[in-house]
Amino acid sequence: MCPNTPPPPGPAPRGVALLFPGQGAQQPLMSAGLYRAHQPFRRLMDEAFEVWGAEGAALRADWLSDSPAVDLDGVRRAQPLLFAVDWALGRMVLDWGVRPAALLGHSVGEVAAATLAGVFTLEEAAGLMAERVAHIESAPAGGMLAVHAAAADMAPYLHADVVVGAVNAPRQVILAGSEAPLAASEARLRAAGFTCRRTRALSPFHSPALAPAAEAALPSLARLPLRAPRLPVVSAYTAGPLTPAEAADPRFWAGQPAAPVLFGPALDTLLCTGELLLLEAGPGQGLTALAKRHPAVGTGRSAALGLLPARARGDASDLHTLRKAVERLLSEGQLAHDPLPLPSPAGAP
Amino acid sequence: MSDANATVTGVTELTVEDLTRIMRESAGEDESVDLSGDILDSDFTELGYDSLALLETAGRISRDYGVELSDDDLDGIATPREFLTAVNRTLTAAA
Repeated sequence: MCPNTPPPPGPAPRGVALLFPGQGAQQPLMSAGLYRAHQPFRRLMDEAFEVWGAEGAALRADWLSDSPAVDLDGVRRAQPLLFAVDWALGRMVLDWGVRPAALLGHSVGEVAAATLAGVFTLEEAAGLMAERVAHIESAPAGGMLAVHAAAADMAPYLHADVVVGAVNAPRQVILAGSEAPLAASEARLRAAGFTCRRTRALSPFHSPALAPAAEAALPSLARLPLRAPRLPVVSAYTAGPLTPAEAADPRFWAGQPAAPVLFGPALDTLLCTGELLLLEAGPGQGLTALAKRHPAVGTGRSAALGLLPARARGDASDLHTLRKAVERLLSEGQLAHDPLPLPSPAGAP
Repeated sequence: MSDANATVTGVTELTVEDLTRIMRESAGEDESVDLSGDILDSDFTELGYDSLALLETAGRISRDYGVELSDDDLDGIATPREFLTAVNRTLTAAA
């Protein structure tokens, strides 16, 4: 429920909000079809890889490889690649001339959102990501477990080492913890009849186990000239608008890997601002699926769609999905011109 | 709804109507899903069903119809048509 009545529908086109997925959304060859077929996206991805230097070349090679040298689900590959894909897709949409009403990122997606909003430069964000990866890699291993349940129902299954790492929707929470205690909680949840699924994470993201890693990132962040956001960002850590004071606080950014993600409440906040076309700027359509279940989208006031397909295949389906999103933006009056030079490929799925 | 907790025995086909009903039941009252129209070839994510929601739906079908689909089976399934094909293959084999 919105605290205030949302503005009534008017003749103006509804606003666009970009959603940026985080850890768990990564897929082999995510957006690789777009990278091969669409030059503007390729240039942006290459720009992101370049600021990482030699590590960027290794990232790119593993991303496009059938047999990556480093596990794509581990923090060293998943986090920078998710950041790069989210950032490049978001930058591409901004370059089309779309002026989003808001940006909302899940987990590392919030770093991409903040970078697009000008809190960090791309170089600063890359430095932040590189440090984050190094610190989290040296933290205890663990994982994350998606549970079809309300956060309030999880209390009996939590303890010091297993916490609610994310509240994604009224009936979707992600537990996070070190491996053995998380497995024990999972067994008890399954015995109690809860539907559970491991997410693609090898670290206990958004749990206190990462607090030392979060603290270690503070000195570097404190040296950055953190800027006020130039685009509205809804933070998934506060479920409110990112304020200039929060954006300028190094602790706000350093603490994120150890703090719970409140994506569901943040989506409520976002959808209470008015009628929106939500575009998921990242791999898969996990956030789109969550948004589709939101009453504001289910009733048709707002809508959600992905810029990339639900399942990455590294082929023409990437361009086909992007084409569908562009056609939606054109039909809603969000774009003055078709930004894609190529027609929809014949025979694409 | 009266026998929702009883296994439906002797059933050899899950219809799209059955699947739609169970998908609706697996969504919470505070959630909204639009399953009107022809959903057979829609991607589950476009209908608001991510892998966890699909697992929840599959769990209800397993309980009501005695059909088990593994996580691996589900990973390869993108649409209701593919889901029905996988379930009905198993139901037919068991009949």
